[in-house]
Amino acid sequence: MTARLCLIAMLAAGLAGAGAPARAQAETPAPEPQIAAALTEDVVEIRSNFAGAEMVLYGAAVGLTEGDDIAVVIRGPVRDLRVMRRQRVLGVWVNADPVVFEEVAGYYAVASTRPRAEFATFSALRRNRIGMEHVRLSAPESERIETRFGVAGVVVSDIGAAIVDYRAALVRNKARDALYVEAPGGVEILEAGLFRARVVLPPATPTGVYDADVYLFRDGLPIAVRRTSLEVVKGGTERAIYDLAHERPVAYGLLSVLFAVFAGWLAAFVMRRT
Amino acid sequence: MLIYLPIAEVSLNLFVLLALGLGVGFLSGLFGVGGGFLMTPILMFMGVPPAVAVSTQINQIVASSMSGAIAHFRRRSLDIKMGLILIAGGAVGSVAGVQIFALLQATGQIDLVIALCYVGFLGVIGSLMLYESIGAIVRRSRNTAPRRPARRKRTVIDALPFKTRFAVSGLYMSVIPPLALGFLVGVMAALMGVGGGFIAVPAMIYLLRMPTNVVIGTSLFQILFVTALTTVLHAAQNQTVDIVLAAILIVGGVVGAQIGARYVAKVRAE
Repeated sequence: MTARLCLIAMLAAGLAGAGAPARAQAETPAPEPQIAAALTEDVVEIRSNFAGAEMVLYGAAVGLTEGDDIAVVIRGPVRDLRVMRRQRVLGVWVNADPVVFEEVAGYYAVASTRPRAEFATFSALRRNRIGMEHVRLSAPESERIETRFGVAGVVVSDIGAAIVDYRAALVRNKARDALYVEAPGGVEILEAGLFRARVVLPPATPTGVYDADVYLFRDGLPIAVRRTSLEVVKGGTERAIYDLAHERPVAYGLLSVLFAVFAGWLAAFVMRRT
Repeated sequence: MLIYLPIAEVSLNLFVLLALGLGVGFLSGLFGVGGGFLMTPILMFMGVPPAVAVSTQINQIVASSMSGAIAHFRRRSLDIKMGLILIAGGAVGSVAGVQIFALLQATGQIDLVIALCYVGFLGVIGSLMLYESIGAIVRRSRNTAPRRPARRKRTVIDALPFKTRFAVSGLYMSVIPPLALGFLVGVMAALMGVGGGFIAVPAMIYLLRMPTNVVIGTSLFQILFVTALTTVLHAAQNQTVDIVLAAILIVGGVVGAQIGARYVAKVRAE
């Protein structure tokens, strides 16, 4: 009994040793894959001259071997989104079939070392929501749980196959403002497991917390994940104006009117002088 | 140079916005219209959310109608009593309009309604103007003065109760038509981001039969108060007034309006 306990303790020690970074001998088993990642900035301030921001996500993959791939996904703050379909009613295009998607990412960027289909399985991409066609869309209002073919608890959505159209429309609209971007080949592997990816935030960047997930793929599956985050905030005057508009809306409205009245009066005054 | 608009939450080119204010201000100085019906759709095309475009444009009209109203106030070319009745109707219309706006925004139909309102109103006004111009051309070619009815007919308006005297306009009429007109213009201000002068001015001339020399001043006087109220209501209820965007448009607008007003002397009327 004591001997067996001893053996387990030794095994544990051996495993811990394998996880340590310094290993020179070739015969030791391959190290536990690990990723370290960071962004060159972790707070982005939106000021009056904000025209987007650019930064670098860099990191190191421990245990990166030939044939491994890295994918980086950055997801912006979530917001409920109503997507509608244009429909012709009496010769006019009206917005019909509204579907409320809950918690849709306001920003979504995905970059990888190679096109995703070449290194990852469909199910791994779907599970981890990597890629435009896997953006999480959930519409709880249109879902119900039924028993189908004798299987209880099947989630059935009223949207059905149209979900593909809704997803495409959403991605298209977000991509127009560069809020949804894809960069196959956007992750560059430098040497000794070091990598970097460029992150571009467009002028329409929403404020909030962004999560950057880095995945290390081997044989079609992610074997290591690392999350780092980024915050986009309104800075200086912009923040003060926004806060005033939301916290003291009546005072803000009166201020806007007073400014306009003053400007109009000034114009009339100047006109009479000249 | 891009400038970030804190309420619209988009970055737009500062110089394009200034030029836009200048251009629309020039046209409004030239033709005596507020320019809201030009500016609001352009702002939407530029990517400003419709709700923000409408309520910010209304704020800009406060400034342009202020400078215009002062000039008319000095010349006494406005009917204050008529203006106050229009404002009373406009205040109710504005409150109703802002509620409708919030409701449409909640159901996601605001873009559609704004677009349809523009198509409808501009279509009707455009056709009326075309009709008027063709009439003018025909008259000129025949070299005859426009025919006037010998005696104006009694209309429904004359039959309405609550009559009162409008000394400046020289009218004795019911308060219901100006209240209704004010209401309509108030709703339009809140929904479409326009001052409504392009509806109110013809309505005052042809329906209320006010003398032309006090119509513009009275309309500006009414627009000033109704747009000021609408701005505050939009800010309070929907938080959609972007003061930075409004300031840029106001600066461009007042300068453009001055240039337009000077240019007016050089061009022929009609």
